Amino acid sequence: MLEIKNLTKTYQGAKAAVSDLSLTVHEGDIYGFIGHNGAGKTTTIKAVVGIHGFDRGEILVDGKNISREPLACKRVMAYIPDNPDLYEYLTGIQYLNFMADVFEISGKDREDRIEKEANDFGIYQALGDLVSTYSHGMKQKLALIGALIHEPKLLILDEPFVGLDPEASLLLRQKMHEICGKGSSIFFSTHVLEVAEKLCNRIGIISEGKMMIEGDTKELTKQRSLEDIFMEVARHGKTD
Amino acid sequence: MVRQIKWLLRVSLCNLLGWNEFRYTKDEKKKNRYRLMGALWCLVIMMLMGYVGMTTYGLIYMEMGDYVPAVLGVLVAGVVFVFTMLKAGPVLFEKGAYEKQITLPFTVRSIIAGRFLSMYFTDMCIGLLVMLPGMTVYGIAERPGVTFYLYGLMGILFLPMLPLTLASVVGALITGISSRWRQQNLAAILLTMVFVCVILFGSFSISGMDESQLEDLVWQLAPLLEEQIGHIYPPALWLSKAMIKGNLGMLLLFLAVSVLSFVLFLEVLRPFYGTICSLLGVHQTKGNYRMKGLKVRSAFWSMVDREIRRYFSSVVYVTNTLVGNVLMVLLAAAILIMGTDDVEKALGIPGIVSRALPVLLGMLPAMMPMTSCAISMEGKQWWMMRTLPVSGKSITRSMVFANILVAFPFYLVSELLLVIALKPDVVSLLWLLAVPAVYIIFSARIGIVINCKFPVFDWENETRVVKQSASTLVAMLVGMVTGIVPLVALIALAQLPAYVIYLVFVLVLAAAIAALECIDSLRKV
Repeated sequence: MLEIKNLTKTYQGAKAAVSDLSLTVHEGDIYGFIGHNGAGKTTTIKAVVGIHGFDRGEILVDGKNISREPLACKRVMAYIPDNPDLYEYLTGIQYLNFMADVFEISGKDREDRIEKEANDFGIYQALGDLVSTYSHGMKQKLALIGALIHEPKLLILDEPFVGLDPEASLLLRQKMHEICGKGSSIFFSTHVLEVAEKLCNRIGIISEGKMMIEGDTKELTKQRSLEDIFMEVARHGKTD
Repeated sequence: MVRQIKWLLRVSLCNLLGWNEFRYTKDEKKKNRYRLMGALWCLVIMMLMGYVGMTTYGLIYMEMGDYVPAVLGVLVAGVVFVFTMLKAGPVLFEKGAYEKQITLPFTVRSIIAGRFLSMYFTDMCIGLLVMLPGMTVYGIAERPGVTFYLYGLMGILFLPMLPLTLASVVGALITGISSRWRQQNLAAILLTMVFVCVILFGSFSISGMDESQLEDLVWQLAPLLEEQIGHIYPPALWLSKAMIKGNLGMLLLFLAVSVLSFVLFLEVLRPFYGTICSLLGVHQTKGNYRMKGLKVRSAFWSMVDREIRRYFSSVVYVTNTLVGNVLMVLLAAAILIMGTDDVEKALGIPGIVSRALPVLLGMLPAMMPMTSCAISMEGKQWWMMRTLPVSGKSITRSMVFANILVAFPFYLVSELLLVIALKPDVVSLLWLLAVPAVYIIFSARIGIVINCKFPVFDWENETRVVKQSASTLVAMLVGMVTGIVPLVALIALAQLPAYVIYLVFVLVLAAAIAALECIDSLRKV
């Protein structure tokens, strides 16, 4: 579903933020992308979703190249940044309707999906209010409903658990399983190692722009906890 | 308190015109954009200084050199007042920054003073650019004593204070009143526009008086000029007397009124400041949504709708870019009410309306198209458009279309008023319809191109985008050039029928629009 091959991205006047990074997310995967602050997670994600260009490498979404067919790639994926700055001058329902228009969802489908997801996330009653009146958690939930409205094949989330209350966090985890159960894939970055260990079937650890470890979560954590692996990478830049 | 104000002022001035970003960014592209912006500012400054120098020389030549400081003082006060009035409210009462600052050990007095002085700094630059060349030309020609320069420098420092205070009072009133309404933005936009109309009508009648008396004033009736300035802005006259006659009493009066007005404003506003800031951005929530049938539109129309909602959500964006459209309606209304001759008198150029009305009408909304900052206004939300499956050209076209839709009602009303007032024949009506329409479309199209070249996304206050960005400056210059060139042609080539010049100009603008569309169509995404 997502294939990153030898991605290299350098910001002007700085050293490479991401260097020769490769990874693969298969259908139905929940892929946890882990790294310390400034490791290159967000840079990688922004390159995947088409916000940033990159210097070298290739990114394929559902077999299509993001550089050559960006619109086709964007039609099958959805992205939520770590701090979703949504259109605060729209009401929740106006925002969702806008997203549905852009993804060309029929009237009936959009109503059904919005009603279901908004009820699941507990913000249905607030949909008529301006986004500017929403709390951080409500905005994240709204962004998530907006992202799910076209039933994407690939969902990309940057630090999705930041700012969520325990109930919303549990709900998000359940939703992630539900989405992947239908054959979609999720690629998300996180700092919360416990969540990653429990939730993801695949994990990649990035440090200083380079992929240090990538693989099946169960295999990687057979002998050590994810925390131990991460700390070893953080201290020595590699693991045995 | 002084230290607090100094800190707050330093932080806010760091952001002025993106100076801090220019200093520290390692992105050469960004640096080059700032360099270009700097060059454009230099061009504008040189034009302004040249204009002031020539005005001063003209006054000295007409043996009215003694009124140079007064005339320049009125000019500074007028420019400061009009320019600051449109931004004073949003800058003084910016809620986000207030919430950041009030949690730190700053007094409300320091916060207000810090914001006031950040505007004061830019206004002082206007004072400097106007007074300095004027004083230089006067100094060379008249060889005044040392008090002229000494008092003049004091004047430069304090001249913007009173008009800035007055503009802040207006901004505070508009923000204060609108903060208590449910539709805060709409209320603030309407109040600002009403105030702009009042000011314009006021200045229109004053300039009408000036023109009718100009010839007398030029050669014989200098005292009348003094009287006029005394009516418009007495502090300019006080400063003038201090500089020319070395009258210390007048200088002290000028300084006292300037400083006391600010202190009074500060003390009156202080008790209400926190309340106004906290009321701003407070929206009632209903929490009772029920799904009704959702309207299905194409992605393009949905983006146009969103763009228009975004536009009307920002007071500073609307008031600064809608003013040209409002002026277009005011010009048409003035022609209907006062008649062509009186409007020409008020504008000061005989025959200009009868010969160049379509161009005059079209150049007003073209001076500041909303597209010139439409992309920048997306700010931190730009990620959303970038990740949606819509092409770049669809996004820019939706913005251009929104601009045209916003301008359309103003265009329609102006045309209707002019048809009633002038009862034009078919050919004249055609030009009256075509020229402003082409102007509006061209300005919207070129505005987005300029904003694509000079976008600003990392801003905290919308004023930075609308009033201080390279994009709006370039768009304004382009608007001025496209307005002034045909006007000059119409005046200079008086023997040519006006419609020939209209035709050439409409064809040039239409060709430019078509070329921009072609370039856009060739883009992959």
